Amino acid sequence: MSELDYNEEEVLARASQGDRDAFGQLYAHYVERIFNYVYYRTGNSHDAEDLTARVFQRAMNHIVNYTDRGVPFSAWLYRIAHNLVANWHRDRSRKQEIPIDDLPILPARGEHPEGNLVRSQEQEALLKMIRKLPPERQNLLILKFVEDMSNAEIGRIMGRSEGAVKSLYHRTLLALRDQLEDQNLIFEGE
Amino acid sequence: MTKRTDQTREEDLDMLEAHLAGTLKRVTPSSDLVQRLRGRIQMPTRTEITVRLTDWRRLLLVFGGVMSGMMLIVTLARAFYHFTGRRSAA
Repeated sequence: MSELDYNEEEVLARASQGDRDAFGQLYAHYVERIFNYVYYRTGNSHDAEDLTARVFQRAMNHIVNYTDRGVPFSAWLYRIAHNLVANWHRDRSRKQEIPIDDLPILPARGEHPEGNLVRSQEQEALLKMIRKLPPERQNLLILKFVEDMSNAEIGRIMGRSEGAVKSLYHRTLLALRDQLEDQNLIFEGE
Repeated sequence: MTKRTDQTREEDLDMLEAHLAGTLKRVTPSSDLVQRLRGRIQMPTRTEITVRLTDWRRLLLVFGGVMSGMMLIVTLARAFYHFTGRRSAA
């Protein structure tokens, strides 16, 4: 079955009965999104790879318990990823490791690697600020910009109303702008 | 004056959004990485999951087997004691 024939309801039903191929389809459909989410939350591809594997491992072990109660499967997966990333941050803070700031190291879609080099200190500064935001706000920005989701879709994943997401987004922008001003980081126009 | 400041601050937000869009871009994991992850996940076969779900049946069988074995040992021990006891009495 190709990605075009992908019928999530049917694939989920088969996967929850232990159909290995069906789970493989879910994996193929979601691996890139989960990897991106984890990548931006952790800031490095090595941990992103490890955590992405664990997200799908956990999803596979518990898929028999997944029941569709109006919450999309993607929300369930993001929830697993969110919990694993939270544990990862907790473990790191206990170990007192030096923060990793190697993001971004993978080429963004449609960009040449040279473009990444040009992507500059401005963006690195912005990424550092984003990673200092509360997890919920980081999730919101990743889903909005990386996954290009609407407020309604984000709301379904985060378990909030569309209006609440819109409001949270506005507050997040204001907080980021204030931080930029505090640090005298003023972006020039494009 | 205030109006102008508000307008400027709104423009700041628009510019910030543009920068966020330029910074938070989707990355494409290599196909190697995707395959490596697929290998790491070790998806179980349908039969493995079925076995895991019916584990209680297996446990019951094991418990029954152990009990039967113990009964057999006790019976053999009693028979042995019975015969050796009778022989020593004679």
